[in-house]
Amino acid sequence: MTAIATGSPTERYRRERPPVSPECGEELARITDDIEDPVVKLRYLQSVLHQEGEKHDLVQLVPIPPARRAWYRLKGLKALDAVADAQEAVGDRTRAARKTARRVVVGTTAAALLFVPFLVAVIAWQVDKWSSAEPAPIASSVGSSTEANATSVASVTESLAQQALTPEPEAETPVTRYPVAEALAEEDLGIVPSLIWLADRGPGWELYSNGLRIETAYTVKGTPRDYRVHSRDGKLLPMRHTRPIGILFHTSESDLWPLEPDYEKEVRKGSEALLRFVKREQAYNYLIDRFGRVYRVVDDDSRANHAGHGVWARGNEVYLDLNSAFLGVSFESRWEGGRTLPITRAQLIAGRNLTHYLRQRYSIAPEMCVTHGLASVAPKRGLIGYHLDWARGFPFEAFGLPDQYSQPSPSVALFGFNYDNAFLRAVGERWPGLIAAEKQLADEARERAISLDDLRRERQAEYRRWRAALPTPDERSLEAPQTADNRG
Amino acid sequence: MDDRNDHGPESSGSGSHTGQSQSGTRTRIGLDVGTSKVVAARGDSVSPQTEAQLNAFFDVPYSALHEQSLKANRTPFYREDDRLIVYGDASEKFAHIFNANVRRPMAKGILNPSEPLATHVLETVLSTLVPVSRNPGELLAFSVPAPASETGHELTYHEETIKRYLKGRGYTPLAVNEGLAVVLAELAKEGFTGIGISCGGGMCNVAVSYLSIPSLTVSLGQGGDYIDEAVGAVVNEPATRVKAIKEETLDLTRDGGDKIDKALHIYYDKLIESLVDEFGRAVHRTQKLPRNDQPMPIVLAGGTSKPNGFRDRFEKALRRRSWPFQIGEVRMASDPLTATARGALVAALAER
Repeated sequence: MTAIATGSPTERYRRERPPVSPECGEELARITDDIEDPVVKLRYLQSVLHQEGEKHDLVQLVPIPPARRAWYRLKGLKALDAVADAQEAVGDRTRAARKTARRVVVGTTAAALLFVPFLVAVIAWQVDKWSSAEPAPIASSVGSSTEANATSVASVTESLAQQALTPEPEAETPVTRYPVAEALAEEDLGIVPSLIWLADRGPGWELYSNGLRIETAYTVKGTPRDYRVHSRDGKLLPMRHTRPIGILFHTSESDLWPLEPDYEKEVRKGSEALLRFVKREQAYNYLIDRFGRVYRVVDDDSRANHAGHGVWARGNEVYLDLNSAFLGVSFESRWEGGRTLPITRAQLIAGRNLTHYLRQRYSIAPEMCVTHGLASVAPKRGLIGYHLDWARGFPFEAFGLPDQYSQPSPSVALFGFNYDNAFLRAVGERWPGLIAAEKQLADEARERAISLDDLRRERQAEYRRWRAALPTPDERSLEAPQTADNRG
Repeated sequence: MDDRNDHGPESSGSGSHTGQSQSGTRTRIGLDVGTSKVVAARGDSVSPQTEAQLNAFFDVPYSALHEQSLKANRTPFYREDDRLIVYGDASEKFAHIFNANVRRPMAKGILNPSEPLATHVLETVLSTLVPVSRNPGELLAFSVPAPASETGHELTYHEETIKRYLKGRGYTPLAVNEGLAVVLAELAKEGFTGIGISCGGGMCNVAVSYLSIPSLTVSLGQGGDYIDEAVGAVVNEPATRVKAIKEETLDLTRDGGDKIDKALHIYYDKLIESLVDEFGRAVHRTQKLPRNDQPMPIVLAGGTSKPNGFRDRFEKALRRRSWPFQIGEVRMASDPLTATARGALVAALAER
């Protein structure tokens, strides 16, 4: 995307223009959040977008996103000068950030000025060293006979080629492998429609414009979604919701036969048995079999029994009833040997198409697409990881989603859930978000001068209180819906 | 003959057509030049003063008696050859008396090409709301529609005509897209990011804004007038009468009662579906949508969006379709009739 608010002022409020990049937008949004007066806010935005217009394309060439962000932040703060006559309209937070930015710019400039002479001196010294260095031994050995030279060069080339062809033996030092998202190869063939719509339907199937085909022959209706959300300060918000707010990815934990023609019958029968089970138990909203067929099992308006006592949070909202709040999407696969067994390429493509469709259909935020293994808890034991499906290895990146393994785990950070050795043995490594959540908890215990165990106990008690506050199905049926559910 | 006079009621805001601004201070104006109404906003962005004038006229044959009667009643009019042109709010009253329709200087958001008096009447209506500027070059932001794809209307003539008139009154005119003006008025807290929709008399305008940048503007050449005329045609009533019923009693949350009510429900649904379809097509075509992960709030404004239940029907139609962005809260503007003018005022005040 290119910029921005160019052209005369008479055109800027009426001509369509490409929007700024998300990085630029997010940084400017952070700053404008702190400006109350609409007129000052608009004046600021128009000014900064106009200033940034010409440079925007150049900045986009910088390959490091954090560097681009830092640039936009600095320029955004600097552009507050344009509304300098209305400084009282700008909040304290942004004014403080502006002062810091000024110091950073001055400091960096001064450091750069000091560094340049030093850098020149180092380069000069290095050049001098190279030019006066003795020839390398291999060069000195060349020369007595052309044949010998040719042999020597050929052997060196051969050895290099051999090195290139032979994979390096794995280092003996164990490498910490975080369960990061696995990337799919970029798909550059074919066009992808920007809108996903129901392109065709027939008895037992629906076809969507992105190629997603949903089999509906097994679809059943369950208990309607109806849930409430806690705020982070523990209040059970009064609004009742009936639309899904997120997607929880599962594996079916079922038997898997080798994906080979000899086992065709077993593979098919296994999937059919699984479908019947999922339908009977109303276990998931969607199941994706190993051939990439997507089955809608429990309809979207109904809750499926897929999440148990899972916990997830976004912003100020904490979700404890994930069965109602989240759509359950299960891949026919299972957790084995400390990982989820690889899903098929067909499952991956179907899962991605389904995710895109559901996200558009219900305006689901990317950070609300998460795996069961990241949300699952065992409340009585106060432990995370009651279920481990996709506790590592879910290909978030291939699904166009942020890496949820790096997000602090809400069950740990908010409610002090712990884990035991069995969990560590099963998972192998703690994921970065779990480490971050534990650190948050430890920092808070230190700040409050209480032990980590005491803090965990306190949080666990809170979790039990929050859960107890949730209306039971009977209570829900007695309450009349208060408002239409408008949320994304 | 141009025998305009100013016998109309004094407008409630500053100055009016006497050419005097309220004080010697700078008075920027936001103007919504709508097919059905012209609304002006002035003052500050927090509590602006607004005033409106019906963008319509009614002509009666000239006679000394008629003229005396109009003057006695302080009805705004001017004489055009052998006709007396009653303009603004008063024209609708006359249309009711004669059981006929008012005439419109604008149609489908722009100067009415089939109305010979269009420019003259529009300027007269504008003069009742825009005083001659005391500070030459003062900024005045006025709303313009987005080009309607289905009519292919050329906007240049309409826009330039208004600009020239406003320059003649001593202003520096600044054109603001109508949908964007709704965003500027109502989505300041969201950083001017969201979708503004203005459903007016002649057309509906939509703008997708990202940090005040209009990344997509769409219009549909149908609005309240279309509903009035279509309903009038099927129930054999003048559109002016249908409009009065629509504004006074229509409630889209209840099932249609009598024939007019039922027809109004049908044509409202058709308008909403057409608008959402047109917006969907534009979204599908464009390459300029912001890559924003946050849900996009939507604000509805304009007189046609006022009936109770319009918001719910619109939201349902919207959510039935898939969108490449998340739809956030769909809400009505705090004052749907003045949102465009207030947004234009914000733009006028923000300019140096």
